[in-house]
Amino acid sequence: MKKVSYLRAASVFLFSVALLFGCSSGNSGTGGTTGGTSAPQAANPGETPAKQKEQLVVAVNENFITMDPQNTGDALSSGVQTSMFEGLLIYDKDLKLIPGLSTEYSVNEDATEYTFKLRQNVKFHDGTPFNAQAVKINFDRMSNQENNLRAYRNYKYIKSTDVVDEYTVKVTLNQPFSAMINKFTTGIISPQALEKYGKDIAKNPVGTGPYKFVEWVQGDHLTVELNQDHWDKGAAKVQKIIYKPVPENGSRVAMLKTGEADVIYPLPEQQVETLNGADGVKVERTPSTITRYVSINMLKKPFDDPRVRQAINYAVDKDAFIKVVKAGYGAKLESVMSPTIAHYAKQGVYEYNIEKAKELLKEAGYENGFTTDIWGNTNSDTMKGMQFIQQQLQKVGITVEVKSMEEATLSDEIYGIKSPEEAKMNMWYVSWSSADPDNAMRSLFSSENFPPAGANTAFYKNDLVDKSIKEATQSSDQTKQKELYGVVQEHVFKEAPWIFLAVDEILYGKRSNVEGVYITPSGGIYVREAEFK
Amino acid sequence: MFRYIVKRLIEIIPIIFVVSLLIFFFIHLVPGDPVRLAAGKDATLEEITRVREELGLDKPLLVQYATYMQNLFTGNLGHSLKTGLPISDMFANRYMITMNLTFMSLGWALVLGLLIGTISAVFRNKWPDYVGMLTAISGISLPGFWLGLILIQIFSVQLGWFPTGGAESWKSYVLPSLTLGAGIMSMLARFTRSSLLETLKEDFIRTGRAKGLKESVVVRKHALKNSMIPVVTIAGLQFGFLLGGSVVVETVFSIPGMGRLLIDSIAFRDYPVVQAVILLFSLEFILVNLLVDILYKALNPKIRYES
Repeated sequence: MKKVSYLRAASVFLFSVALLFGCSSGNSGTGGTTGGTSAPQAANPGETPAKQKEQLVVAVNENFITMDPQNTGDALSSGVQTSMFEGLLIYDKDLKLIPGLSTEYSVNEDATEYTFKLRQNVKFHDGTPFNAQAVKINFDRMSNQENNLRAYRNYKYIKSTDVVDEYTVKVTLNQPFSAMINKFTTGIISPQALEKYGKDIAKNPVGTGPYKFVEWVQGDHLTVELNQDHWDKGAAKVQKIIYKPVPENGSRVAMLKTGEADVIYPLPEQQVETLNGADGVKVERTPSTITRYVSINMLKKPFDDPRVRQAINYAVDKDAFIKVVKAGYGAKLESVMSPTIAHYAKQGVYEYNIEKAKELLKEAGYENGFTTDIWGNTNSDTMKGMQFIQQQLQKVGITVEVKSMEEATLSDEIYGIKSPEEAKMNMWYVSWSSADPDNAMRSLFSSENFPPAGANTAFYKNDLVDKSIKEATQSSDQTKQKELYGVVQEHVFKEAPWIFLAVDEILYGKRSNVEGVYITPSGGIYVREAEFK
Repeated sequence: MFRYIVKRLIEIIPIIFVVSLLIFFFIHLVPGDPVRLAAGKDATLEEITRVREELGLDKPLLVQYATYMQNLFTGNLGHSLKTGLPISDMFANRYMITMNLTFMSLGWALVLGLLIGTISAVFRNKWPDYVGMLTAISGISLPGFWLGLILIQIFSVQLGWFPTGGAESWKSYVLPSLTLGAGIMSMLARFTRSSLLETLKEDFIRTGRAKGLKESVVVRKHALKNSMIPVVTIAGLQFGFLLGGSVVVETVFSIPGMGRLLIDSIAFRDYPVVQAVILLFSLEFILVNLLVDILYKALNPKIRYES
């Protein structure tokens, strides 16, 4: 009896383990092919294919959220979408606006009427012809508040979209908005697909781009293949692109080394050394649209005194910051935005000068310094940055307590306030990325954008700046815009609502046989000319 | 026995109910606003209000809970706040991957753990014992994160035997399950050893030896079985944990499993996903516990469960 039960016990356990084990590996087979058309995955490591490679693997650090270009908020999702979608205009690899689905356009003087001549003989991936009606359907979708799309914040300015003829579209705004031209880069979706998929369009992207959607296995990969009927046929040569989220930095680097990935982005600064000189691998650098700074709450004492804010700026050694925190990859922030953005006006640097900082503090009545705190998220680079600021300010007698908070909590503390006076934040170590001057300046320095209404977290208010920003959005005249945005940059920089730190560099790695793939300054993945050498 | 199992299964319902209540209210206690995060830094107030209404997050918590439970009972887990996709869609692929990883890790850990533990106990204070226990100590002390990266460096980058990650074929599971199983194997080895040593001191073992049974028979047929209770307990617990997915291993080997889904969802305050994942984990734990209890009885018939 005893013997039997012992055997039974052991066999129950082992058998069930074996059974489940067997089952589950069987299931993994089906699991892997859920998309139906799943392609053979990345080549085995060490196996260098002798013949022409046909698929390009791009490893990135996060999951994609949506494939609806009109409802996208994160840079990574839109980075992937650029392979499948095109707007009336598109950004090239250097963030210049170039013709996309339109061949030319005109704007009236006060930036309220935009007329586009559309590209002819273009088809969506599902065969639907592209024409003025398709543009109207897309613009109406975005400008309709009830659809609740991310793009609404830009397209709410549209009063009407009119079909002039088959290939001409006239867009009328309800108020002058010169930055609108940058927003016409939003991807245009096939009207037929919009109707067919409804909300599920986010999983079933159908555009006009050089690549067609194949499959998206949640959390694992997204595959696109070359669109043989693209209007710019021949520019992109790679047959298939697979985008894979690989969150761990070290793993991404290893994939590039083994050839499992052809392009990896981002490449962490600390890992550049290990790749320099590695066989068959290239490290690429490009200036980004990302500015890194400390936002200072100007409503609070002692930061309401401009001398204190300037003193803090003088007290921080920006060269050392870039060297220590950014591992040498970055440039000093010499205005309120990145030099890659239109209408940039260089202002210079608050040169590191402890004596001057002390003097200014003395003038302001803080000879003996003061105590404050700095907030940031729990990212290890952020912590390093905050500790750096802490050490630098210590030298002029300012004691800074470093408080790192998990991102969602932090966001709640900063934006979840009822009124500006309620803000508990003193200093916030943060970054901002924008592709156009309006987003770079109006969002951050216009007084109508105090939290909770917007992202002016320094609570910066200057009537001249408010007026200039407004006027700039009301004129389509580029010279006038440049002048007005110049005024904004000059004043903001002088009044120092931030500690101006650095402009990030975008670092990415690729296999040396990959050509024509770029990471754009705003973090987009540009594949329009992708090919293997 | 059958009635006992049925009774235990019925008990799951109130437990799940309480768990769901706890998860729901606790997660809403944590600061952070999914709407803010979804809308982005440059969102306007009116935009945020609109999104909040659309997602139904402007309603009182109790109403939200009622809606949630109502959906749950009709088998609808809801949609993710972050991606807008149905949660069941997000689970399908990830769950199988975590399952595979669990069974592969636990499988080799059980076999090797029992073997090392038994050998160590039998050759107590001799060199096989020292080698075995050294292996076990190393297995417990190596941080998974570090071990994973080292394995990638050696077996993927240098030797090129296995891919650096992903979940495409059995090959991609080898390194992650080695990483994940190392700690468990070591723990099982140590528990097997100490438990077996205890048993070997018992009177019935002396009797066995006295009546002239071979040592191997004594160990295999009499001692080992009687030492299995604590080992089964540990294995069961680990089984439960593994089913929850391992954030570290899934991150290092870029495996799209349940652990990473949970962490990402918590960071985003994606309430419906967090609730669904934790509910699933609780259910798994309850079932694994039941399995362990049944195994106890099989191992030691003296254990009785009233039915």
